[in-house]
Amino acid sequence: MEQSLRSRIGSVALPALFAVLLLFLWQTQLLHRMLGTDTFVLPLPRHIAQILVDNPVKIAENLRATCSVMFSGLAIGCLLGYGISVAAALFPKWGSGGLRVIGAFNAVPIVALAPVVINLTRDASDDVEVRSTIAKTIVVALLCAVAMSIGAYRGLTDLQPFAEDLLKSYAADRKTVFLKLRLPNSVPHIFIALRVIVPTSVISALITEYFAEHVIGIGRMIRDNITLAQYATAWAYIVVACALGIASYAVLMLAQRLICGRRWRI
Amino acid sequence: MVEISVNDVGMVYSRNETVALEGVTLDVEKGEFISLLGPSGCGKTTLLRIIANLLEPTSGTVTVAGGTPEQARKNRKYGIVFQRPVLQSWRTVRKNIELPLEIMHVPPEERRARSDAMLKMIRLRNFVDAYPDELSGGMQQRVGIARALVIEPEILLMDEPFSALDEFTRERLQGDLLSIWQESKKTIVFVTHNIAEAVYLSDRVCVFSPRPGRLSAVVDVKLPRPRPPEIRDTAEFVEYVARVRGSFEGI
Repeated sequence: MEQSLRSRIGSVALPALFAVLLLFLWQTQLLHRMLGTDTFVLPLPRHIAQILVDNPVKIAENLRATCSVMFSGLAIGCLLGYGISVAAALFPKWGSGGLRVIGAFNAVPIVALAPVVINLTRDASDDVEVRSTIAKTIVVALLCAVAMSIGAYRGLTDLQPFAEDLLKSYAADRKTVFLKLRLPNSVPHIFIALRVIVPTSVISALITEYFAEHVIGIGRMIRDNITLAQYATAWAYIVVACALGIASYAVLMLAQRLICGRRWRI
Repeated sequence: MVEISVNDVGMVYSRNETVALEGVTLDVEKGEFISLLGPSGCGKTTLLRIIANLLEPTSGTVTVAGGTPEQARKNRKYGIVFQRPVLQSWRTVRKNIELPLEIMHVPPEERRARSDAMLKMIRLRNFVDAYPDELSGGMQQRVGIARALVIEPEILLMDEPFSALDEFTRERLQGDLLSIWQESKKTIVFVTHNIAEAVYLSDRVCVFSPRPGRLSAVVDVKLPRPRPPEIRDTAEFVEYVARVRGSFEGI
């Protein structure tokens, strides 16, 4: 117990210590000397923080746009992906083959997928904001669905030896086997998949914003401010993007602990 | 009265034409404790799975509790225990024992009463709310046995249930199993590759030989009951072990 507590403190304290050290080097410009850069390209932390403090409304507006794309894409994608994995598990003949095809989607980079989807949804609505949101959400959902379907399929089919025989010996029908065995067996695999999916949803939302018609979102602000050589502002949005990624991952870990507890060890 | 009747049963795995069983005929009396003994690959597990209707034989017929194996399975005439405990990690000890009752739609109060009785029997009342990975291997296997017995089956099928346990735990569980059997008078078919285990537990030991799997001898064990653990040290017991060992062919 003491050991695990110590290692837990270590796993938080060491990265935190590293961050403090980095901020110190950064603020004292020792970092700039090491990297051979200047305070224009790499503004001081104090400057970046000032921009964050001065522009809460604008940042909140962009954050909300990114979050709504990210979370709705995540939700739709996970449900879709889980649905695909259930279908594949129920029809094993083409299920594993079908999933292999879907897995090929994983190899398509976001920068290639995003413009294609944005083009395809050009007629989805007359409102630029609506059709951009739809396009962005589709990209996020597709990428999440692919990862979820592959992860959950394993959980639905990779059963303990004899587990199926056991239920069969109690004359359980297919529906009962699904509800009492496959479904609960897939829970830890869902969380393992989410560890990849949650960061993917953040990154795909940010990158798809680059290509969207409607100019809004954290990712778009990073890109546009870099184009305009507003490096300090770009850095402020990078900080927000990092915070979003870390916060969503922390929520995931919390949910995992609450749901899995002693029941599903991951 | 005959509980399980196996008539000229053969099993050929179509995948690689392996003859797993050939011409096995065997009757198991109601309330009898019978062992299927043999080295790996002799078809003893295959025969147990055929009796349990988890496999269809390629020839011959089997009747279980007066009907086909499928009827026996659908009417929940038997409980089965595997080499591994096969507990669901997300269920507590109690919930694991109640799993078959949930499938049978037994009301919650009755489920609870029946799992309580089982927990008492396997002496795990202090572990009701523990999860399987918090238990030792022997405790897990006891939960597996309780789960098989909670549906009050006529027949208990056991597929090398103690083979993964250490010697001390195994001997203890063998004693437990005998007292459970003595109380409930169920028919038990027990698959093992351990000669002393088969002799200690059984009324009859069916010796199987491999390639092709067939029943090569049946040894009646007339040791008195109840059998205390020390019976293993008697000359009579050792003699039975030697006789069973002598009945194997070409191994």
